[in-house]
Amino acid sequence: MTSATATAAVAVAPPARSTFGAFVRRHPTVMIGGALLLVIVLASIAAPWLGTVDPISIDPSHRLRGPSADNWFGTDRFGRDLYSRVIYGGRISLIVGLSVAALATLIGLAIGLVSGYLRAVDAVVMRVMDGMMAIPAIMLAIALIALSKASVLIVIVAVTLPEVPRVVRLVRSIVLTIREQPYIEAATAIGTSVPRIMLRHLLPNALPPLIVQATYICASAVLIEAALSFLGAGTPPEIPSWGNIMAEARPYFQLKPWMVLLPGVFLAVTVLAINLVGDGLRDMLDPRLARRM
Amino acid sequence: MHVFLIRRLLAAVPVIVVVTIFVFALLHLAPGDPAAIIAGDLATAEDVAKIRAKLGLDQPLLIQFFTWIGQLVRGDLGNSIFSAHPVSELIGQRLGPTLSLTLMTLFISVLLAVPLGVIAAWRVGSWIDRAVMGFAVFGFSVPGFVIGYVLIWLFAIELDWLPVQGYTPLSKGVWPWLSNILLPSITLALAYMALIARITRAAMLETLSQDYIRTAHAKGLATEDVLRRHALRNAAIPIVTVIGIGVALLIGGVVVTESVFAIPGLGRLTVDAILRRDYPVIQGIILVFSGAYVVVNLVVDMLYTVLDPRIRY
Amino acid sequence: MSAPVLAVSTLRTYFYTRDGVVKAVDGVSLSLDRGETLGVVGESGCGKSVTALSIMRLVPSASGRIVSGSIRFDGKELLTLDSAAMRAIRGNRISMIFQEPMTSLNPVMPVGNQIAETVALHQHLPPRAALDRAVEMLALVKMPEPRRRAGEYPHQLSGGMRQRVMIAIAMACTPTILIADEPTTALDVTIQAQILDLMLEMKERTGAAVMLITHDLGVIAETAQRVVVMYAGRKVEEAPVKALFARPRHPYTRGLMTSIPRLNRAPDESARAHRLTEIPGVVPSLIDMAEGCTFAPRCPYASEQCRVAFPPEVEAAPGHFVACWNHDALPEMVRA
Repeated sequence: MTSATATAAVAVAPPARSTFGAFVRRHPTVMIGGALLLVIVLASIAAPWLGTVDPISIDPSHRLRGPSADNWFGTDRFGRDLYSRVIYGGRISLIVGLSVAALATLIGLAIGLVSGYLRAVDAVVMRVMDGMMAIPAIMLAIALIALSKASVLIVIVAVTLPEVPRVVRLVRSIVLTIREQPYIEAATAIGTSVPRIMLRHLLPNALPPLIVQATYICASAVLIEAALSFLGAGTPPEIPSWGNIMAEARPYFQLKPWMVLLPGVFLAVTVLAINLVGDGLRDMLDPRLARRM
Repeated sequence: MHVFLIRRLLAAVPVIVVVTIFVFALLHLAPGDPAAIIAGDLATAEDVAKIRAKLGLDQPLLIQFFTWIGQLVRGDLGNSIFSAHPVSELIGQRLGPTLSLTLMTLFISVLLAVPLGVIAAWRVGSWIDRAVMGFAVFGFSVPGFVIGYVLIWLFAIELDWLPVQGYTPLSKGVWPWLSNILLPSITLALAYMALIARITRAAMLETLSQDYIRTAHAKGLATEDVLRRHALRNAAIPIVTVIGIGVALLIGGVVVTESVFAIPGLGRLTVDAILRRDYPVIQGIILVFSGAYVVVNLVVDMLYTVLDPRIRY
Repeated sequence: MSAPVLAVSTLRTYFYTRDGVVKAVDGVSLSLDRGETLGVVGESGCGKSVTALSIMRLVPSASGRIVSGSIRFDGKELLTLDSAAMRAIRGNRISMIFQEPMTSLNPVMPVGNQIAETVALHQHLPPRAALDRAVEMLALVKMPEPRRRAGEYPHQLSGGMRQRVMIAIAMACTPTILIADEPTTALDVTIQAQILDLMLEMKERTGAAVMLITHDLGVIAETAQRVVVMYAGRKVEEAPVKALFARPRHPYTRGLMTSIPRLNRAPDESARAHRLTEIPGVVPSLIDMAEGCTFAPRCPYASEQCRVAFPPEVEAAPGHFVACWNHDALPEMVRA
């Protein structure tokens, strides 16, 4: 009777990480954000099959109609179907968002790695980055766009540039911390080349916060592109983008508010979804980041 | 302490240098001949040559740069291509509305966001905390111009409490000024508040886990006093930092908000200048905004010396 | 004999975590008489700090709760007091100082103000008078140049000086009880002695009772009048200090005593290699404890009865209490 209770063994509750269901319950935000984002991405890709018509075909006899069975969101001032334009508009936002995130991350990673590791380069680079951060992102982007002909590519480049300093700072601070570790010293001592050190040691440590940062940059890029298009300095007006759809609908706002609000809602939901995914990734990859970011 | 301030001032210099170089390079970054761009598509070769000579674009780059710096230092930002008025004059005219908007936004944001962040941290995990964090995510995600239109639709069109757009200077009375500036300020404030609330909460959580908070409770202090005198005063440093950095966000938002609400400020000037390819104006505005950002961050640095005695001694 | 100024009865403080319920304090009773120094000794994690925090009702409320028991201070039940009444007692009638002087002071407030805060709060002194009192206290804790130091910030003071400030804060309102949780553990040995002397001097001066919590038996021997030994959330022995050291009656206490390394040895012993004795095994997790005596798994004298039920507290000798089924069967301790 007594021997069964002899040892003071430590009872451990079964870990709650093993099942997908448990994962969902612990990270509801990632799930909601991810699901939303997935829907939006799929909708954008599948645009031609979602009951849309050609988003740029005009039909002057049917301009400025309200929502109806034919035009679910109504028509704009040229008679174009608003629903189609909004669905297709998603493509631009997502393309710009993803491209900017990828580009800014890659460029920032390269610069940050070099800058963090080579002190001589670092001083100059950091001053330049500080300078770039002093110029408001939208102004920088606008100024660059103003210099050239409007196109989606220019928008991508112009939005990428202001986002690079953030990435550089992040990567650089990680590199600076890791560089002091004894195992880096050891690696150098046995003759490991600098690029190899960067690849094998620095990069894997930088990756998790970088991924989180990339997500936030994506959200930011979508917002900036929309703002630029709204101001008329972004995506050329022939290509529907949520920003320029809203811009074109401005004169009619008081009488037909939905023309401005509907694309706005899509924009807000998309950015929200991306931000939720970013938050969720941050919580998953490193809970400690949650306090710093 | 003085050493710290002088060091911060010196650190600001390279930033300004980089900004000026960039702004100068703006014109020359464009593919093609800057003079041709300024002259426009309909210019003749003669017009282009005239403009080139007038703007000194035929000089070597370095000389152009220093000439330009010389002008800047004297306060001469050049003339607008579109209206031929001095850029500094144009900026001066538009400064008032933008300043009203920014200051009102700052005021609302800090007033509301900091307490929200404090409460969220104090009641971490509760519904208040989740509500504040939820609001923060929203504020950060929904674009300013969307919020602006929603607010206009709700308060100006449906409820008719406030005017739809426009700007009334303070000189015409407090209420008229306020009624015009309120919706734009709230619009601009939302994203800024989201940022501040988040950082306040994070900073407070970090502070509240410190030992000296336990000491404060052991003294028998009431919770408000512990939060205010001990926790917040320590959390203030990262919070003030982020307020300074967030000003860049604010400036970006100003451009869009002024456009939505038809406020004749610097933001609108920027947009008009872009559309007209009015480079001197664009350059001037970027300089002014960047300068403001640098100044704000210097002020933040000075605040540090007040807030953190470890820097002072 | 007057009633004790503090009477803790079967206190149970549990922490509710994701991995289970941590029974940090599981049925501890102790008492403190007016003006006496009670030592509470035990390893890290035995619940001594949580007991102290429970008395102050400063248990971190996120996961911790005082589940049952009673804490009577000067006849009044503390556990049922409303928060305002409890706050009037904290820092005023019962004060506490903590282990880490380096981090226990607010870095952005001058130390004088931190002391003045308590007097201003509890004695309603105006700022000027409160600051004067703070300087007075600094002088009492033997801080050189008290008025100048009062305007300085914690980072300008050494660890020993910071602990003096903590003592000044704790004693500023002349409390009836001072709880000191490992006050010298984080300090250099030479400073330790100074701080302990200071605490005793303050105690003499004000007549306060002191509850000194430590894992260092040496400190207990020098300062305590009575000692409580705790293990895994329970009290296992309680005795006047001399009696405890002369004849420890609980196997755990004996283990503690014999594991103290001895520096002075008789000449003929120095040649032989002398192993340090230790208590075999490890401190159990406080989450899922088996029935019976918590020390049984590591006890060399454990019997069947020990694994069934936790032994009751019995008075083995006048004033000497022990919770062990086999306390009278323990062999004589070899004292070198």
